[in-house]
Amino acid sequence: MTRPGLPRIDLGQINSVVRLEMKKILFARRGIWIYVLALLPLVLFTAYDFQASREQARRRQIANQSQRPLTYQDLLTVKSGMTNQEVIALLGRPALNFHWREQRAQGPDSFTDVAHERYHYSDGSNDLFVELSDGKVTDANIQTGNSLGEDSIVFASVFQFFYLRLAIFFGCLGIFMNLFRGEILDKSLHFYFLSPIRREALMIGKFLAGLLATCAIFLTSEFLQIAVFLWHFSPTVRDLYLYHNHGLEDSAAYLGVTALACLGYGAFFLVAGMLFRNPILPAAAILIWEAVNPFLPTLLKQFSIIYYLKSLCPVNIPSPPGTPPLLSLLISNSDPVAAPVAILGVFIMATLALYVSSLQVRRMEINYTSE
Amino acid sequence: MNDQILFENVSKFYGEILGVNRVNLSIPRGITSLVGPNGSGKTTLMNLMTGLIRPTRGRIQVLGCRTDEPEKLFRILGYSTQFDSFPKGLTGYQFIYSYLRVGGRDSQDAEQLAWQAIERVNLAEAATRKIAGYSKGMRQRIRLAQALCHDPRVLVLDEPLNGLDPLARSEMIALFRAAAEQGCHVIISSHILHEVDMISDQVVLLSTGYVVAEGQIQSVRQEILEHPAQILIRCNRPRDLAAKMMESGHTIEVRIHNDERGLLIKTRDADGFYLMLNQMAVNGIDIESVAPADDDVNSVYEYLIGNEEVVR
Ligand SMILES: Nc1ncnc2c1ncn2[C@@H]1O[C@H](COP(=O)(O)OP(=O)(O)OP(=O)(O)O)[C@@H](O)[C@H]1O
Ligand SMILES: [Mg+2]
Repeated sequence: MTRPGLPRIDLGQINSVVRLEMKKILFARRGIWIYVLALLPLVLFTAYDFQASREQARRRQIANQSQRPLTYQDLLTVKSGMTNQEVIALLGRPALNFHWREQRAQGPDSFTDVAHERYHYSDGSNDLFVELSDGKVTDANIQTGNSLGEDSIVFASVFQFFYLRLAIFFGCLGIFMNLFRGEILDKSLHFYFLSPIRREALMIGKFLAGLLATCAIFLTSEFLQIAVFLWHFSPTVRDLYLYHNHGLEDSAAYLGVTALACLGYGAFFLVAGMLFRNPILPAAAILIWEAVNPFLPTLLKQFSIIYYLKSLCPVNIPSPPGTPPLLSLLISNSDPVAAPVAILGVFIMATLALYVSSLQVRRMEINYTSE
Repeated sequence: MNDQILFENVSKFYGEILGVNRVNLSIPRGITSLVGPNGSGKTTLMNLMTGLIRPTRGRIQVLGCRTDEPEKLFRILGYSTQFDSFPKGLTGYQFIYSYLRVGGRDSQDAEQLAWQAIERVNLAEAATRKIAGYSKGMRQRIRLAQALCHDPRVLVLDEPLNGLDPLARSEMIALFRAAAEQGCHVIISSHILHEVDMISDQVVLLSTGYVVAEGQIQSVRQEILEHPAQILIRCNRPRDLAAKMMESGHTIEVRIHNDERGLLIKTRDADGFYLMLNQMAVNGIDIESVAPADDDVNSVYEYLIGNEEVVR
């Protein structure tokens, strides 16, 4: 019955723990907010999508109503100082045309009438508003529709600043910190400790269950977010982006970063939940540690998760001009590491955390009373 | 030595609080009862034996197994704890089945063992219902089933008769006896001595974290007789009397009764004590009755805990 040497860890046992735990995690009532966090960007993008589609339809309608089909190049030809005849010669009659008259005072008793006009053209994706007074163009204003380039920066910002730093962070906190703590609160941990299973195997099983659950939740949401993000673009734009503008690679990177985040934060919070009775303090400490990461010296930076994840994010977010230097440091990625190094970094951090957990789980005692 | 449960100079402190102190025990096969009042360290001893807590000092071995290797220990040991809580959302059957799977049994094996155990504790008809809806006695029985489902050689049961009706009690006792007769170690805790003294092969008496007596039931009683005499006094001003008693140096412990109309006194010098008591009466304390408290079967127990907790 007692085998000499290192007893092997039984995969079947780990599998049983994973199953038991998965059920608990996915259907826990106290975990509903995690789904809300995960789905929030999806709701946001869907609303944006809906709005963008309506805009799109409106532009297309205007484009269809104009005398002849226009291109973006055509819209660029209108310049200030042109006459209305010249504009119409270039672009045809505008689909929408407002005009009004203004009485402008010239002296104490004399007024002149100024005729104002506004022409609205569209090439189907962009708007051109031409302002004319007295038959002369005073302003030609192009409003570009949502381009994939700009949208993908919005997407990247939402991913980095909401999804990664808040949704996945707190989702992992909720799930991984409760793997042991939740069972201590429920007073049911001893049933595991009374089973013929190595404590380390139990810990691994619980961790894997957490990882599978968080990956299932956050990868699904991320996948849907990408789908929704691309939805309102025309198939040609979409294909161009996916196959020629590393759209596919970017999407894969987002999914990969999501999975790595679950792994890294999961291991962090697992060990935090075992080392501390009160989850608030370690959670706050980790949150602050990750937030101040850009301001730390490189040596310390390496002991975090966000440092590596940030380097792996596919789209760089440019800080808008005039951003205070402190903030732009937060946004920009000052010293990125190469992708393989970053991936390895997350794995090393996770392994470190799991190693500490394995020591801790062996030392754990059942002591429900002092909660 | 490989068929004994050994405690070698074991102490457990919860921070400052004493759990058990300097326990030396070797528990042989058969039914062993841990008896003592609330807080005397029964659960602590059982948790130590099963590795749920680690000793502050000392060493524990269960049939040659260390207690910090659950993967080996729980192939031979089953423990039904005092915690009346269960993982959420499981039926009685699922509960037993799941933890058998965690313990490494394949699904067929686990299913069979689970049903066997459920039948042994007479819970077959409730087994497919959620544990959340069980009565206290049913929860006690499903825990028992969980402890014995893998046919362990050592059964550790913390107050296993608590909450059971008389019929269930005798069924469970029969079950313990059967296990003991097959050569198992059955360790039962109770704070009611006469509940277990008929069925136990040996008794370990605990008081405030110390093993005060150990062995077969008769020899334990003998041992108790050599302990200080206890005298129960009913009177009108027990606190004044207690203060005088402590001053006089004849007594080693005084307990005031809850109703403030009596006190329990321990003394090693009974004669000197009675002499002094007469003087007290002269000094205006109205003494209703004086009775030695060590005469009947419960004396061992009363010695440990005083009167008020005997009746449950
Ligand atoms: N987790 C804990 N933290 C602090 N003190 C504890 C803890 N568990 C037990 N104790 C203390 O250790 C002593 C022994 O407690 P234990 O639970 O072993 O008693 P018991 O004999 O099982 O009592 P009961 O009959 O009430 O079950 C008590 O003084 C108790 O207060
Ligand atoms: Mg107890």
